[in-house]
Amino acid sequence: MSCARAGTGRTLLKLSPLLVPLALLFAGGLALAVAQSLGYMLPFDYHGGRFDAYANLLTERCIKSAALSLYVAVVSAGLSVAVGSVLAYGIWRLPERLERAAIVYKVPLILPHIAVAFIVLIFWSKSGVVSAAAYHAGLVASIDQFPSVLFSGNGLGMILAYTYKEIPFTILLAYAVLKRMDPQLVTTASMLGASEPRVFLRVVLPHMAKTLHTTFIILFLYSFGAFDIPFLLGESTPGMLSIEVYNLYFRRELADRPTAMAILTCMFLFSLFFIWLYTRVAKQMQPRERKL
Amino acid sequence: MRGFIAAFMAVLMLAVAGCADSGPGETDWLNKEYSAIEEAAKDSTVRFYMWGGSAQINQWVDTYVAEEVRNRYGITLVRVPMDASVFVNKLLTEKAAGKTSGTIDLLWINGENFKKCRQADALFGPYADKLPNFQKYVDRKLAAHDFGFPTDGYETPYGTAQFVFEYDSARQSGHPAAFANLKEWVKKNPGRFTYPQPPDFTGSAFIRQAFYAVTGGSDQYLGGWDEALFNRNAPKLWAYLNDLKPYLWQEGRAYPKNVAALDTLFARGEVDINMSYHPMHAQSKILEGTYPESVRTFIMKEGSIFNLHFTAIPFNASNKPGAMVVANFLMSPEAQLSKLDPANWGDFPALDNTLLPDEMREAMQAVDLGEPTLGPDVLGAAAVPEIAAEYVEALERGWEENVLR
Repeated sequence: MSCARAGTGRTLLKLSPLLVPLALLFAGGLALAVAQSLGYMLPFDYHGGRFDAYANLLTERCIKSAALSLYVAVVSAGLSVAVGSVLAYGIWRLPERLERAAIVYKVPLILPHIAVAFIVLIFWSKSGVVSAAAYHAGLVASIDQFPSVLFSGNGLGMILAYTYKEIPFTILLAYAVLKRMDPQLVTTASMLGASEPRVFLRVVLPHMAKTLHTTFIILFLYSFGAFDIPFLLGESTPGMLSIEVYNLYFRRELADRPTAMAILTCMFLFSLFFIWLYTRVAKQMQPRERKL
Repeated sequence: MRGFIAAFMAVLMLAVAGCADSGPGETDWLNKEYSAIEEAAKDSTVRFYMWGGSAQINQWVDTYVAEEVRNRYGITLVRVPMDASVFVNKLLTEKAAGKTSGTIDLLWINGENFKKCRQADALFGPYADKLPNFQKYVDRKLAAHDFGFPTDGYETPYGTAQFVFEYDSARQSGHPAAFANLKEWVKKNPGRFTYPQPPDFTGSAFIRQAFYAVTGGSDQYLGGWDEALFNRNAPKLWAYLNDLKPYLWQEGRAYPKNVAALDTLFARGEVDINMSYHPMHAQSKILEGTYPESVRTFIMKEGSIFNLHFTAIPFNASNKPGAMVVANFLMSPEAQLSKLDPANWGDFPALDNTLLPDEMREAMQAVDLGEPTLGPDVLGAAAVPEIAAEYVEALERGWEENVLR
């Protein structure tokens, strides 16, 4: 036992070139954020109470912001995983020649998020490409009558951008799993009379489940906290949390900085809680799937 | 292996220790003659941190300013493009960390950012009175305040900006003549007007002007922050802006995030009126080819807000003499004249016209500002000052609570 412990110590020591910078930069940054949210280590004299910054988070505006961030993250991650897994299966079923051509799905993967945000902006704004096309096709009488897809208060623009970026990501991961699946499973199920949706739900989906769960967590956390897409496509009210933090930290008084840091701290804690909750729920779902 | 790890740890410790190293002993430049400062600036490098979002301004600094300070004083000017909020944050972090030898020599700054730096005691000074051009050409009364916050010689004027609206004279909708008419105008042209979402600089200036206009002028606010007065008057502004709201772009559910977003909406024809804190913005957009030639500027009858922008020197600048010499050069009539030319930048001078030599004054009047630009006489007659930063903050916060929701 003691021998094993010594081994752990040595491993830790050997990992130190990686661990030390990580601890310094990540944990240090986190500690600084927490400290500043409590009023310590600020670049000015702080006079408020210890937990004032956290009390500020209970305003209607802040709660609405959190709700919007949550909504955008859940919808975009959920849609991406649902659509992406079906498409991955579709690509897997293609004849080999076409399967190779399907590589085009990777294009959005190499585009940076900010570029995707611009694409959405150019296509879907009132003076955008889609609106102009609708006008020329006679679908709307003037571009003013084109429905406002972006900036209408429901986060649709951001969801569009995220799903465009994230569906290929899901395909990439799900397809890798399918590559290892025995095609005869599907053939057998079909021969035994399972319909196409039934094959997908009962045979293919359980195979991908583990990866899809991980994918969902990654996508959810990313869209929950990311800055670039909300910066271009975000709503005015409520704003996404990342934008609220940016405004509080950079564009307001110094006295608002603890509040910005309190939001970041809460976002971090929520992310941890979410991972814990999700993995628990996902684990409980697994045995039930097996029984069926 | 162990040796390697030990060596690595040692290097890491050294690096960490190196970060906390303090700079060499400092000369007290505030008690030196200007000639000695100029002497010390010779053959040095000045790192100028400035907003880098305009190719034209960057070009002017890189060519004209850099060449002049090299020829006149032997100074190498290095422009570092960065948003003001970012370098101010960097400076405040350095201040909090006790870093005494910083990388920034000169800053382009004003308003809330200046206030932030002063509150954190992160600026060098008072140095303004050391500079000959400040003594000779600057209107001290004007330069004494920056958004109502006393400058106390911790920054020197660099240029003037004034708020103008823009419209396209080729479109049918025309433009309102005053804030009092704006409501009628938006009712007639629903969805064709909006303003950038405060705390965007331009959007914030827009609501400030509306605040002046609906509460009876700016004079009452010049005495500094008065909370009772604000609480009495602000509801009139919220009522005014909420009346406009249903007729704004996106029915007021969303506002353009910043003035660049509004520029795009205007250029693409989604809205009919744009606004800018730079009187020559329309002209430079026309020259750039993003606006049609028919775009013109106008101001509201109730007045148009103006401010000065400044340069300042961080408390830990490693080349303070060089920074002072460059700041002094930027205030020279030659530099200000070159800056006024729309082909170079098109920024209005920060100097007192009456203090200039005759030939300089004439040269400034002779500069062609372009068809859409209002003359200095029109702008000067309508100019209303900025008010204390507390008002600005209270207005931005109140807007969020009363109008945005």
